[in-house]
Amino acid sequence: MYQYDAIDRDMLADRSAEFRGQVARRLAGELNEDQFKPLRLRNGLYLQLHAYMLRIAVPYGSLNPAQLRKLAWIARTYDKGYGHFTTRTNLQLHWIKLRDAPDIMDHLASVDMHAIQTSGNCVRNVSADPYAGATSEEVDDPRVWAEAIRQWSTVHPEFSYLPRKFKIAVTAAPKDRTAAKTHDIGLNLKRARDGALGFEVMVGGGLGRSPYIAPTIRQFLPASRLFSYLEAILRVYNRHGRRDNIHKARIKVLVATLGRDEFAHQVEAEWEKIGAAVDLPDDELARIRGAFTPNSFETLPPRSEALEAARAATPAFARFARNNLKPHKVPGYGIVEISLKAIGETPGDATSEQMEVVADLAERFGQNDIRVTHEQNLVLPHVKLDDVPTVWAALAEAGLATPNMNLVSDIIACPGLDYCALANARAISIAQNIAKTFADPDRAEKVGELKVKISGCINACGHHHVGHIGILGVDKKGEEFYQLTLGGSAAEDAAVGQALGPALPHDKVAEAVDTLVDVYLRERQDGERFLDTFRRTGVTPFKEAVYADAH
Amino acid sequence: MRALTANRLIDGEVVFWKAGEWVERFADADLFEAGDPRAEAAEAHGKNQPTVVVEPYLIDLIESEGLWAPVSYRERIRALGPSNLPHGKQTEGGAAIAALLHAHGGARSKGRVDLIKRK
Repeated sequence: MYQYDAIDRDMLADRSAEFRGQVARRLAGELNEDQFKPLRLRNGLYLQLHAYMLRIAVPYGSLNPAQLRKLAWIARTYDKGYGHFTTRTNLQLHWIKLRDAPDIMDHLASVDMHAIQTSGNCVRNVSADPYAGATSEEVDDPRVWAEAIRQWSTVHPEFSYLPRKFKIAVTAAPKDRTAAKTHDIGLNLKRARDGALGFEVMVGGGLGRSPYIAPTIRQFLPASRLFSYLEAILRVYNRHGRRDNIHKARIKVLVATLGRDEFAHQVEAEWEKIGAAVDLPDDELARIRGAFTPNSFETLPPRSEALEAARAATPAFARFARNNLKPHKVPGYGIVEISLKAIGETPGDATSEQMEVVADLAERFGQNDIRVTHEQNLVLPHVKLDDVPTVWAALAEAGLATPNMNLVSDIIACPGLDYCALANARAISIAQNIAKTFADPDRAEKVGELKVKISGCINACGHHHVGHIGILGVDKKGEEFYQLTLGGSAAEDAAVGQALGPALPHDKVAEAVDTLVDVYLRERQDGERFLDTFRRTGVTPFKEAVYADAH
Repeated sequence: MRALTANRLIDGEVVFWKAGEWVERFADADLFEAGDPRAEAAEAHGKNQPTVVVEPYLIDLIESEGLWAPVSYRERIRALGPSNLPHGKQTEGGAAIAALLHAHGGARSKGRVDLIKRK
């Protein structure tokens, strides 16, 4: 993975020292809260319901064992011994004390980590395909480009005061594991017929109050011209974005207002003015690419006798392998998905001990590579198939072997009203109730792929708009209610879900999901996923079943 | 009935006003009858302590099991800790915690809504 150089390290040391001074001035009363708040937010430090929350950047979801161990140590030393992985592939610690925050920044910097640009109206943590470098589907390694974007966007002076926050995702495979079309900019690496590398550029996606799926403004941008083109997009946005109205300030509103063609036209005109001078020099790209040189893989047979023997002998392992083991580009290797969605637990949470187990496994069996997914799970991208039974046993012992990837209990949920100062309703408890309803793994597998996504408020951190079943918590006269949407998707077939009907009280939501699944099982035809059935039948049969009592 | 709450600056801890001090337990908080001007006086005092607390505001209370509890679910979570894990103040147990756990429904705190409107 990419290693920080002296420039990166000096910058982090400076930022950490600067933040220490800012905290001291706040505690001494030299800065008031209005002055201090934007400074702490620039370092990812929020004040939430019970304590401060620190949002630590995990660039394109990539961690090495030393980093994950440090995160575990910080969570144990300064928090309550766990952390929460988010849909931006970051890690949030929810019980941080302001007085400890400067020391935590120093500890993060010691492993080349920080919390810069995890808040504020700037380019946020860039996300990438968690299977990068491991899947045969990709045309190039998206981490190379995500890292280049990270370097370009970090404390970029022109883009530090954008009209609103700005999120970029990079994928290089037809199967989108980044929710690219829900981003301010989604980049999909492609190869032209002549072998040239380029990007499909999608702009103006977003969730929140007004969800949009990003339209493609350029089908094929030569890869070498990426940075001038990004600069052109951000300049048009910086110039015309609605700074007067926070609800209309995201680029999605600008793109929707101007229309895709006019927006693209303005970007192209700006791009022409900028020229190629700001594009990434080839030698710099080569330097970054060098940090992601392919791992050294052994030559192995595609079939592992050890894996097959374990499958045959241990049904629980066979289930894990069916759901959590994905094909690797190299014969004899696999991608191991680690579910952070144990039944009844908090989606995305990992204890310090669990983080240490994953770090150890990555070191022993996984080429020192760990990924965080936007669906709040972890991945060991390079595991020999022969080692998978051993990895599984260690994961199982740590409560990390839940065999539910992409199934109904693999739920995205934001922290919701249990922690977040913005939330209107809880999200975690809804996820826990649904997971318990589908605790029977046979039934969950019978249901198949079903993406449930839950947000505790309209800001949509839980991506509810693009859930096959989306659940949005609302506050109705102080009571928690939940609006359900159906038919959304965050993948390559991205779509915004359609409202099911009137909001349901907290204790009726899991039951309603159960009913929706029953309707799907009744209606589905040969091999259809929940989403496919919904798209064929429309909302009516689902609506009739859930609101049957009301008729 | 009302109480005054805030988060403590240095650690973010949820605190409540009691006789000129900030205390951590809701059960220890001063309670103000509706219309009692001491509530606004305490709030004004809190706002003049920017190096001690952040964003003090008054919360509305209802009766629960013979004791008082915040009307809004949000404020009960602040007083108790999150519902997904046994963290925070709920671990202490006792009648005061039980009253908070068993309280029902209600509207948002007017004090909090006013705070949001001011922003």
